Amino acid sequence: MPFDYHRPATLEEAWRLAAADPEARFVAGGTDVMVRIREGKITPRALISLSRISDLARIAIGPTVVIGAGVRVAELERNASIRHALPVLSQAAALLGSTQIRNVATLGGNLCNASPCADLAPPLLVHDARARIATVSGAREIPLATFFVGPRASVLAPGEVLSAVVVDPPAPTARAVFLKQGRVRMDIALASLAVLLETDGQRCTRARVAAGSLGPCPMRLTETEAILTSGTLDDATLARARAAAESEVRPISDVRAGADYRRHLAGALLERAVRSLLNGAER
Amino acid sequence: MRELRYVGTDAPRPDAADKAAGRAPYIHDLSRPGMLFGKIKFSEHASARIKHIDTSRAERLPGVRAVITGENTPELRIGFLRDNFALKKGRVRQFRDEVAAVAAIDPDIAAEAIELIRVEYEPLPAVFTPEEALAEGAPLVHERDADGRPVTTNLLGVQVHHESGDLAAGERASKHIVEGEFSTPLIQQACMGTAGCIAEMDVRGNLTIWAKTQIPFLAQKDFIRALEAMGLSGRNARVIVPTLGGAFGTGLDTHAYEHIAILLAHRTGRPVKVVYDRREEFANLSPRQSARTRVVQGCDAEGRLTFRRVEVLQDNGAYTSWGATYPTVMLIPATSLYKVQNVWFDAKLVYTNNTYAQAMRGYGNPEVTWPIECLLDELAEKVGMDPLELRLLNRNTPGEKTPMGLDITTCGLGECLEFAKKSLDWTNKRGKQKDKRRGLGVASLVHVGGSGRIYRSDGGGVILKLDDFGNVNVSYGGVEMGQGLHSALTLGVAEALGVLPEKVSINPTDTSTCPWDVGTHASRGAFIALNAATRAADKARKKIFALASEIYAAEAKKSLAAFQKKNPSYQPPAYDYAAAARADNLELEAGFLFPKGAPDEPWLKMEIGKVLRALHFRGAQGQMIIEEAFYEPPSTLPDWSKGVGNMSASYAYGVQAFEVEVDTETGNVKILKGVSAHDVGRVLNQQTLRGQVQGGLAQGIGYALYEEVKTHEGRVLNPSFTDYKIPTAHEMAFPVDIFFAETNDPAGPFGAKGVGEPGLVPTAPALANAIYDAIGVRIHDLPITPEKIVMALKNKKKG
Ligand SMILES: Cc1cc2nc3c(=O)[nH]c(=O)nc-3n(C[C@H](O)[C@H](O)[C@H](O)COP(=O)(O)OP(=O)(O)OC[C@H]3O[C@@H](n4cnc5c(N)ncnc54)[C@H](O)[C@@H]3O)c2cc1C
Repeated sequence: MPFDYHRPATLEEAWRLAAADPEARFVAGGTDVMVRIREGKITPRALISLSRISDLARIAIGPTVVIGAGVRVAELERNASIRHALPVLSQAAALLGSTQIRNVATLGGNLCNASPCADLAPPLLVHDARARIATVSGAREIPLATFFVGPRASVLAPGEVLSAVVVDPPAPTARAVFLKQGRVRMDIALASLAVLLETDGQRCTRARVAAGSLGPCPMRLTETEAILTSGTLDDATLARARAAAESEVRPISDVRAGADYRRHLAGALLERAVRSLLNGAER
Repeated sequence: MRELRYVGTDAPRPDAADKAAGRAPYIHDLSRPGMLFGKIKFSEHASARIKHIDTSRAERLPGVRAVITGENTPELRIGFLRDNFALKKGRVRQFRDEVAAVAAIDPDIAAEAIELIRVEYEPLPAVFTPEEALAEGAPLVHERDADGRPVTTNLLGVQVHHESGDLAAGERASKHIVEGEFSTPLIQQACMGTAGCIAEMDVRGNLTIWAKTQIPFLAQKDFIRALEAMGLSGRNARVIVPTLGGAFGTGLDTHAYEHIAILLAHRTGRPVKVVYDRREEFANLSPRQSARTRVVQGCDAEGRLTFRRVEVLQDNGAYTSWGATYPTVMLIPATSLYKVQNVWFDAKLVYTNNTYAQAMRGYGNPEVTWPIECLLDELAEKVGMDPLELRLLNRNTPGEKTPMGLDITTCGLGECLEFAKKSLDWTNKRGKQKDKRRGLGVASLVHVGGSGRIYRSDGGGVILKLDDFGNVNVSYGGVEMGQGLHSALTLGVAEALGVLPEKVSINPTDTSTCPWDVGTHASRGAFIALNAATRAADKARKKIFALASEIYAAEAKKSLAAFQKKNPSYQPPAYDYAAAARADNLELEAGFLFPKGAPDEPWLKMEIGKVLRALHFRGAQGQMIIEEAFYEPPSTLPDWSKGVGNMSASYAYGVQAFEVEVDTETGNVKILKGVSAHDVGRVLNQQTLRGQVQGGLAQGIGYALYEEVKTHEGRVLNPSFTDYKIPTAHEMAFPVDIFFAETNDPAGPFGAKGVGEPGLVPTAPALANAIYDAIGVRIHDLPITPEKIVMALKNKKKG
């Protein structure tokens, strides 16, 4: 189906276009939007491309890490400062789609698409990232954990733009890892898990666990986190944490995998992630 | 035989450069003047009565040139049982049934028009498994057969049965018996190029169709029949095959979409193109037939096989295509994979309201090799014997006549097994790496290697046309679909004729210019084409030598004079070239004609183009060199009710083996190393052959570990690569040790056997056996997904 295509250079222009046509839709890399158009799932009258808005494509590393929503996944994978500041995000970026997809797909598209399997969400959730939302009437910042409200649904109102993701620098002892299980290497996750641990000897002082494809949207596993920080992080604690993860997730059965297997993966990936962090294999 | 110059080298494929540069014209690239675009409206039910079709809105859409349904077109029956129709009238039996079609001036308008067609259905009861279909009182998928006779069951009339020796005696002679039921799913052939055609009719009603087919001449027959049904008796159907982006069995039958394109072209008087997009390809093209197989086999105390019983149940889907003839090939591994007497085989096919299925590379062979080879490992375990040694003990050998009556002329199975053993350090590693969750597995294969006779004629012809410039134009009726046929044909013709490969070109396959060929299936392309080509080349050489002997002396004299003019001091050696230029003493090699034993003087070697020109422009009666040969392989059409007959002129054996590591937490299987060893008779082209073997291996791995067309009540649930996973470079990133046993088959051209299909036949059981060696779990239903492995491990733990 034919549609109009706009390429505004500023957010203001984008908002004007959006206000003029309520059936228009934002597009960044288009790797989600175009697929859905071709499948006939959406039929927008117009697409408003955000890719010429240079403000959206910036990476700023200062007191906080600010990553523009328009930053390409390939950039997250390769950019030296990101790899240094948030290695777990680079790790997830490297596992998203194919080289061709990573070259055009954006961070903002991945989050705003709000798929339960969005690979960039779990690593950002374990870093307590915030979503910076730009609107005609001003900007606001909300925890990324409250950004997703259901499968393919976010808090964004029509015309609102995710401008950046903001992360406070992690503690020096923090280490995180992202694990993803697909049917083949290049696949939508059947289950994915990011784990961040801050440790003090045998104790884990802070834990963040976030899961993808294991519920209606990317989600934190707070009970699991609580168990991980409840005492000495030994085999018994880990076994309890694993059980908690398995019961805390809310997977579905679909054409890709059964809920039982996904539930099992939640536990298996958790145990593997924690062990690899404790063994110092990841930073 | 002369020493081989080109056969066996690793010369690049002639089609490679154009394909890599994007210049090879696939059906998607072709266009005809005034061409319209056809689009099909498919059923929205698995089983329903069509109450009414309203096409009025589609007809009114600007740009639409025709809207057709089963009601306003002649009935065109398709399929070898003629149980299918181009457009369905009154009744749909599967989701992909074609209920209407449009032709429009562009593809978007055609798509829009399809959406405007309203179909009213009355849903009918349906059956989705063979069990449901065979249950008492089950709704019938077809109430009548093609001749209008009432039908009382969903069981197909097609039956293949075999009994040899004495099964009961075999069982009595057994010390150990194993049995099990194994299944294989529907598989998408996943061609890079999707299906499509362009149909064009001249004013007199003759059809030209550019078709993505593997069977141009059987397709011609089908299309002529369609023309007859359309009231166009006596007209011709010309089938032209464009560059194909893979076929893997999809082109073995003619399709409803092709017949619909013909109907639309006839209705509009314009060429009509129908091309499937990827979703249509997944949902509406016949996938590989699924199968459920129960095998029982036994051996004596030493591990010698005593009997084998194979019972197959196949879901045919709603209509019949060549998938229904899988049992004819299933018989080969059932009766002839390893030495086994006392064999019982039976296959049943059942209509259901699922998508109707088709054949794919391997054609039933992988489906039966899968259980046989898994159960061989179980047998070895019972005997307490190494599974590879058990295979060596029972291996086939040259000179054997198998229970099916196959004459095994040459057989490299033993060599292939020995190679796998050495390559994987089998003796030191198998069964000894369970602590690392690593394991080794092996499986073998036997397949037709000298074509496979399933039709009255199993032949194929080649025409060689030489021109004034020494070019050799080859016309063969079989199909290059990516497998490298043209590479083998180029080298084989150059070799047999004695010209340079650069001078050989292969014509597009076209029923109007190429001799008849039964089709490119059964790994027969190179075997048949080269057997025909070498015969045609022999005739051409004889003719060239006979004619050249008459002109050689005069030409050599002219040549010498010219040479002496350039080299005034040159003194020719004493040599009576006129006497030497007898027809039986002439030789043609690397593009030069010369008398055998002639001194190495440039003027005595005559470039073939020059010779051909001399023959052409010779006085009043010029002469052309155009020769043909039709080759019919020495094989017999089996008697299917007995399942006996030597259906191929030779048989290909092979072995695959793997070392894997299994992640018991996620269920992931990592292949550490693979071995693919094949008895190929003779290597025709190194690059192409390795490509075939590696491509087959990748397809086999997809079949073993990832691929499955999933359906729910007849509807395909994963009609895209998002959810239909095939291996990519990531999954193939392990070392593969390839070995070719050159057994030099007497029936093969240059000794070669067919090799197109074997590469994926034993992959699944070899991997399954390796997984079992690693973690002690055996999956019976393909694909062996991580999910199934994890669930099986959990069940095992529970005990
Ligand atoms: C072959 C293939 C493989 C893939 N593999 C993966 C994978 O492994 N993992 C994974 O997570 N995803 C995968 N995807 C999905 C997709 O590539 C990613 O989600 C990608 O990050 C989307 O980014 P985009 O810029 O292309 O989004 P777009 O398609 O441009 O946009 C997606 C949605 O976000 C909205 N949007 C985009 N930017 C903004 C913004 N700044 N503010 C407000 N709304 C916005 C759009 O309106 C749209 O609704 C795959 C896709 C394909 C086609």
